Amino acid sequence: MTRHRQLLLGVVFAAIGVSIVALPAAAAGADSATEALIQSLNLKLLYVAVPITILVEGILIYTVWRFRNNDEPAPTQENRRLEITWTVATAIILLFVGVASYQVLALPAVTATPQVTEEGQTNATEVTVVGQQFLWTFKYPEANVTSRGTLVLPANRTVSLNITSTDVIHAVHIPELGLKQDAVPGQYNRLQTTPTSQGTYQLYCAEFCGTGHSQMTATVKVVSYDEYQQWLEDQQESQQ
Amino acid sequence: MISGLTPLAVTSVTTSVALTVSMGLVLIAVIAWLARLEDVRSYVPTSDIGGGAGHTEYGHEEKPGGITRWLTTVDHKDIGVLYGVYSVITLAWGGLSVLIMRTELLDPPATLIQSTTYNALLTSHGITLLFLFGTPILAAFANYFVPLLIGADDMAFPRINSIAFWLLPPGALLIWAGFFIPGIAPSQTSWTMYTPLSIQQPSPAVDLMLLGLHLTGVSATMGAINFIATIFTERAEEVSWANLDIFSWTVLTQSGLILFSFPLLGSALVMLLLDRNFGTTFFTVEGGSPILWQNLFWFFGHPEVYILVLPPMGLISIILPKFSGRKLFGFKFVVYSTLAIGVLSFGVWAHHMFATGMDPRLRASFMAVTLAIAVPSAVKTFNWITTMWNGRLRLTAPMLFCIGFVSLFIIGGVTGVFLASIPVDLVLHDTYYVVGHFHFILMAILAAVFAGIYYWFPLYTGKWYQPKLAKIHFWLFMIGSNLTFLAMILLGYNGMPRRYATYNVDIGPVALFTDLHQIATVGAYLIGFSGLVFLWNIVQSWLEGPRVEESDPWDLAQDGLLTKEWEWFDPQQEMTLADGGSEARPPQSDDDTEETT
Repeated sequence: MTRHRQLLLGVVFAAIGVSIVALPAAAAGADSATEALIQSLNLKLLYVAVPITILVEGILIYTVWRFRNNDEPAPTQENRRLEITWTVATAIILLFVGVASYQVLALPAVTATPQVTEEGQTNATEVTVVGQQFLWTFKYPEANVTSRGTLVLPANRTVSLNITSTDVIHAVHIPELGLKQDAVPGQYNRLQTTPTSQGTYQLYCAEFCGTGHSQMTATVKVVSYDEYQQWLEDQQESQQ
Repeated sequence: MISGLTPLAVTSVTTSVALTVSMGLVLIAVIAWLARLEDVRSYVPTSDIGGGAGHTEYGHEEKPGGITRWLTTVDHKDIGVLYGVYSVITLAWGGLSVLIMRTELLDPPATLIQSTTYNALLTSHGITLLFLFGTPILAAFANYFVPLLIGADDMAFPRINSIAFWLLPPGALLIWAGFFIPGIAPSQTSWTMYTPLSIQQPSPAVDLMLLGLHLTGVSATMGAINFIATIFTERAEEVSWANLDIFSWTVLTQSGLILFSFPLLGSALVMLLLDRNFGTTFFTVEGGSPILWQNLFWFFGHPEVYILVLPPMGLISIILPKFSGRKLFGFKFVVYSTLAIGVLSFGVWAHHMFATGMDPRLRASFMAVTLAIAVPSAVKTFNWITTMWNGRLRLTAPMLFCIGFVSLFIIGGVTGVFLASIPVDLVLHDTYYVVGHFHFILMAILAAVFAGIYYWFPLYTGKWYQPKLAKIHFWLFMIGSNLTFLAMILLGYNGMPRRYATYNVDIGPVALFTDLHQIATVGAYLIGFSGLVFLWNIVQSWLEGPRVEESDPWDLAQDGLLTKEWEWFDPQQEMTLADGGSEARPPQSDDDTEETT
């Protein structure tokens, strides 16, 4: 029996090892300040969750395998100490999840409240995002530019998205930048972030909004600040 | 004349008049048939006085036979079977609808069905399985076994029990109406029916669906009141609160949740109907705001999750020890954790709304309660595993499904903790990750349901199921579930939004999406096939299976685990044995024999 137990423990630890090595590979480089924060939090949680899952599943399978031909069942005895131990242990792990999440949650790149943005950055690039069935419109109030289907953002600058809708509820979802916020009619929701790498990203509508929901996508282009200024000027000329 | 009446309005008026008239005729026909069937007045207690001789021809007979028995029964066991049969039918539709959707998702563009059809199917899939399958199948077990387990003659209100069931078939017809009434588009609101989208959709199928949901809500509430009354007042003398079985505890807690949450859903549905048809502004931007709907809906919707999961936890807690050869470990803690979940479940609803722009401080407190509710769920899991430790495990079909439940529940639970963490939720919300997470829990629930169906199969049919088929069912079900929903977890991590009929996006990782969707579809087909095996096994065994010859078919008495419901089974067996004498046990009657060969 002990040989089997060693074998099983070996398998469990090997699985934990593989998962710890494989996890960073899943988290590729972050493309915005928001994504960097959330990704590192998610990774922290994964480091705890994946071994726990494998361990508990392993214990379950081991229990089934070990006691399946057992002829002498031991009578169940209450064990208050064991009950309290695992209750407290679970609570401590969840407390860790709560504290780690709260630290990230309080940052303006994750929770953008109007107060924070007013006190902090005054030079944030403001974009108003309007969802309507089934297309996205992006308004740049400072430059008086309106763009349909394409959101252009300057890299390494703080940008602030003011999100609303004209009809039903939609949601801005840019997974590669770690951004999500509902677009609710009659209400402005704010997202704040700093895109850190230039590139093209997919924006999806993530709140079911009707027939064209799955076609309600847009392009997000993160470009250098100079290119961004150039793009704004081009738009101003073409829109006049 | 009245210039406002367009030809369209005229036709719609004539249609509704025709509908009303035909509905009235149907009702009259039903009343006439019932009157022919039985002298309804004979049920009036005073009929003895007015009736002269005081004897009607009816009252003293045994149960009527055939179809009449099933249409008029107030026997809790019969109603339990009715709930069960009804649930299997709705499960079949829920499964079929998702298989069409999964086939569509094999490739990125819309090839098999249009987006509108896809959206209609996704609405029907969710609503059917949550309202028409989930709650009724649990009511099936509760109806059949709670009275037996607590030593009651029947439910406290047998006729209300019957009404509660008979509200369900019309509810289902109304909810599915859009699919078979020609000329109206099926409802495409998704199961959450978020406003203003659900107000905006013109199809009358949405109104019919809301009415149908209302009926199922009334049915669930009546059932809940009945269970609470039964467990409080109808217990046998020897059944005290201290030794009430764990399944009845979970049903009691579930009924409490239903009592406080379903009436709220009913009110919200009425408000939505008024918004749609009478121009009220409960959920409009100018009025109560679209977010009000979400608050009301999820105040019902999250307890609903625990309404669906608590009785399956009870099933596991009662069945798993039977095949471990020892009593449930930490019985008290399992009961306490059930009650804790029941209370906490009303304090977590806003975790479905983290991305709606709600107050950040409120958001954090909902995160805290959501994390807290994970503790009692984890405690239960540890108790089940410890129950098996040092036991004598008999890997029969019900036991396999119990183990499957625990295994799926662990993954479903851990993936849920990530969604409780607000920053992570903001990325994963409304992606396939969420779909994967809650389907792990739902598949666990389904596993518990199968465990119950196999465990009590000898009791309610008097026959044996076919263990080999049951094991094929189990393995296909487990492999399929893990394949499908792990693929969905990965889809979510890569940003794939849920409720997408197509995914031919320009920039997103379409190739990766396609691969993962195909894996999920293969898994879904395995689950579908396992369902066919299950159905065949149940139907064929019920009709032709070997008869159960002993009063303790699972040999529970040797470990002192024979519970009360089998006591009821015992006299039935004596009656069948009285004339025939005992025969040798059929070879497939015990999974243990198969295990050793």
